Amino acid sequence: MNGYLFETHRERDRRPLRFVTFGLVTVLVFGTLLTRLGYLQITNGQTYQAKAQQQITAEEYLRAPRGLIYDRNGNLLVSNVATFAIKVNRSALPFSRRADVAQRLGNLLGMDPSEILATLDAAPGSRFDPVRIAQDIPEDTARLVSESGDTLPGVAVEVETRREYPDGALLSHILGYTGPVDAATLERLAGKGYLPDDVIGKAGIESTFETELRGTYGVELVERDATGRDIQVLRTTQETVPGASLTLTVDRTIQREATQALKWGMKAAGLKRGVFIAMNPQTGEVLALVSLPSYDNNLFAKGISNKQFQALLNNPDKPLTNHAVQAHYPPGSTFKLVTGTGGIQDRKITPDTLVETKPFLQLGPTRFWDWNHKGFGACDINCGFGHSSDTFFFTVAGMLGADRLAYWARMYGFGVPTGIDLPGEAAGIIPDDAWKMNAFGQPMFEGETYQAGIGQGYDVVTPIQLINAYCALANGGKLYRPQLVREVVAADGTVVKGFTPDLIRKMPVSQATLRAMRLAARSTVTLRHTYNLVDMPVKVAGKSGTAEFGTRDAKGRLPFHSWFVGFVPKDPYTADFTKPDSQLVFLAFAYDSRTKGNAGTEIAKAFLQLHFHIKKDYLNRDLLQRGNFYQSN
Amino acid sequence: MRVMRAEPGRFNGVTRSSVGTAWRAYDLQLAVYAALLATVGLVMAYTNSIEAGNAVLASGTVFTRALLWSAIAIVAFLLLTAFDYRWLKSLSWPIYLVNLGLLGMTLAIGDGVGGSARWVSIGPFTFQFSELAKILMTIVLAAYLGNREGRLDRLPSILGAVLLMAPPWALVMLQPDLGTSLVLAAIAAGMLFMSGASLRWLAAMALGVVAAVPIAWTYVLKDYQKERIASFLSPCTDIRDSCWQVYQSQTAVGSGGFTGVGLTNGAHLRGGFLPVQESDFVFAVLAQELGFLGALLVFLIFAALIWRILVAGWRSRDPFGQMFTAGLASLLLFQVFVNVGMNIGIMPVAGIPLPFISHGGASLTSIAIGLGVVQSINIRQAKADW
Repeated sequence: MNGYLFETHRERDRRPLRFVTFGLVTVLVFGTLLTRLGYLQITNGQTYQAKAQQQITAEEYLRAPRGLIYDRNGNLLVSNVATFAIKVNRSALPFSRRADVAQRLGNLLGMDPSEILATLDAAPGSRFDPVRIAQDIPEDTARLVSESGDTLPGVAVEVETRREYPDGALLSHILGYTGPVDAATLERLAGKGYLPDDVIGKAGIESTFETELRGTYGVELVERDATGRDIQVLRTTQETVPGASLTLTVDRTIQREATQALKWGMKAAGLKRGVFIAMNPQTGEVLALVSLPSYDNNLFAKGISNKQFQALLNNPDKPLTNHAVQAHYPPGSTFKLVTGTGGIQDRKITPDTLVETKPFLQLGPTRFWDWNHKGFGACDINCGFGHSSDTFFFTVAGMLGADRLAYWARMYGFGVPTGIDLPGEAAGIIPDDAWKMNAFGQPMFEGETYQAGIGQGYDVVTPIQLINAYCALANGGKLYRPQLVREVVAADGTVVKGFTPDLIRKMPVSQATLRAMRLAARSTVTLRHTYNLVDMPVKVAGKSGTAEFGTRDAKGRLPFHSWFVGFVPKDPYTADFTKPDSQLVFLAFAYDSRTKGNAGTEIAKAFLQLHFHIKKDYLNRDLLQRGNFYQSN
Repeated sequence: MRVMRAEPGRFNGVTRSSVGTAWRAYDLQLAVYAALLATVGLVMAYTNSIEAGNAVLASGTVFTRALLWSAIAIVAFLLLTAFDYRWLKSLSWPIYLVNLGLLGMTLAIGDGVGGSARWVSIGPFTFQFSELAKILMTIVLAAYLGNREGRLDRLPSILGAVLLMAPPWALVMLQPDLGTSLVLAAIAAGMLFMSGASLRWLAAMALGVVAAVPIAWTYVLKDYQKERIASFLSPCTDIRDSCWQVYQSQTAVGSGGFTGVGLTNGAHLRGGFLPVQESDFVFAVLAQELGFLGALLVFLIFAALIWRILVAGWRSRDPFGQMFTAGLASLLLFQVFVNVGMNIGIMPVAGIPLPFISHGGASLTSIAIGLGVVQSINIRQAKADW
């Protein structure tokens, strides 16, 4: 053992078999690795290349600026403002820290942490889609949140735009509002490029013209790193097309006048709900459309709280319902237009036929009373329509029969939605034998036909249907679809869609018949059925209506709605109603008005005074005092 | 195991054999293969630096650190070549104790992810002593087994080797470092096999290890280790969680195809989809960028290197030489198999670097030391029998 060099002659115990085995194991190891590599790289190389490519690329959406909305005179009604929103990326928020983050975020934003968690849980889309927790937050709060990055994992501040409605409640029922898209809608719109944290028009024009206003979101194919950050844009697959702008038919000035008149009347008469509409009958353009109570659509644009939303929903006067379009009411005597037109056109009467009006008509055991319980003697159409004689129109309705009466109602556009550019339009009900059989298993009784002839009973109409029928009267029998949008203008200034009147039908009525009915409508004013309306410098023709509804009070009296729908000639200061040249039809509707006189007429007068700058005051405030009485039918 | 004592012939190796003799015995092939693999490592460090968005020679990048460690490795290789390996046999006990000390120190002051203690920071450098432990334990075990030649088919020899390995193995497991502990076991197994130990006893031991698996699963393995094994055994369902690494590396490898996407062109990797792509998962980068051909070439060089190491052992008339080369070959083969295996989805993820190529100074330097010892064994075969 004197150093190993001297031991080299000893035959060492080599084991060739084990060397060979080791060599074989080595070959086996590299063979296995190469087999698997070949499987991955050669057999499935294409598949993995596609996978790798798919992983590093993502489609990124570039939100298109939403189109603006102007009134017919170019006043801006909606604008986009930049705001800060708080969004949470759920995939970056560890489950164990959810409660803590919700608590911190709640403190910073002044929100209930449980509401934040509920929003996170309810959000549509995948875990990687950001969820909007709060929007329109103040800048200093946004800064605080973005600086608390470490304690708020997954929380990000984003600058986004929201809608701002400078006129708020004035135009809410026309413009509507935008809000976050909900899961069901998102699913329905799958493939249309909506993002889980997108906004969408939810009411009004914002909803019906969603496609035009939204434009087209751009799509870019971007290369991304593992944390989702963009490295570079590979190509643009879809150019961003900003939303188109809309010019409305609405005139903001007239809308203000209408609102002011309606508010005055409702306050004076103590009313809860009311509608005022003004239209150009020559085109079907809606100049003003007011439904009160209204709401501030900015609340929705800013992100309405659950509490605020519940308050609006639970308000008994339904401020979120557009009563001009989405609700229907008995038309009362305003419906005598249909009965009169039908009677003359079907040759049951002529404009000169005298009908003996009575205190009541007897039908079996039932008495159908005229509203004044006296009658007006022998009446032609001017007298019958002008005094709004019920027995006159009971008689004419009886001559027409239920089906023929319903036919003329439908010719005037009742019973089906008008097709106005607003969502959720009601159809109304025009009863005929088929309808009655379907609903009650019996045909219309004659008494029911009498009631239908004066717009009571089963008949219900929407305010927009009623004004549209009078538009057809005023323009010589052309029933147009009421429109709210004059022009759709693309972001580059080209007019995508200009204005053309949309004729629903040319009514099968002679000009003579319509002329007779216009003159009869003028009689309503000249016979002082509408009191001092005749004294105003502008010359009005029209019809008032008082429609009972609901249940009788202790004295057997019913509450009633009051209507006035009227029009002025092209030259409103000349009382020539022979020509179908009117350019202004207006409708006032007072819901549940228990006043001495017809609140609708007074509201219409208030509007005319404002619109035509009439200095002298013609308003009869005493008629708006409480007193449940059939003063003017 | 002998204690350190004076060895009369310890300087004779240098004095007696001329430089020419030493040169003829020097295995140039082995050095070339090692240099080629180290170059591949530098190339991968380069491509990773570029993909991380660094300037090529900026200080502190993966590439510049790899250059520095390569220089250190060359120095270590040359020093150990010049050093008479026979001293190692005499120094085996001190080496053993130093190794235990280093591993103990790592446990005491080391850093690591998630509360583990894996590496020790010395100034700007971090060093993983468990890498060095692989080579040091190969030396110690070679000295032990070489000394027991002729009695190696007996159970006490095997048990002695196991007892010798147990303390460092336990220290490594405490870090915890499952990967290194498996490498240590593989080294021991390879050396025992090549030493001619009784196959029956080795088989019995292997059965014992298999039997111990349930116990290890319950008491030894950490949750993350269990998760890795479980995710390896079950198909990936959610690529975002435990399967992420495996999914990404396979995708990278597969997308390389036959010829690869070219160096620095791994867009998939540039995006940071593959964590630890410069160390444990560098093979995925290599396979993606250089393709099947590149990987095949690297495998061939590895196989050639292992062959040269085995040849050195075959020629060595000193049992230490045979044992040591067997240990080093086992180390390389096992690490290549497990590392590449986990990159291509046929092995569970364990912290085992790819020799030469994975970024890490400790691994490169330790292998350089091991190869230096092999060259030292080569050139000290005074009377080569060929």
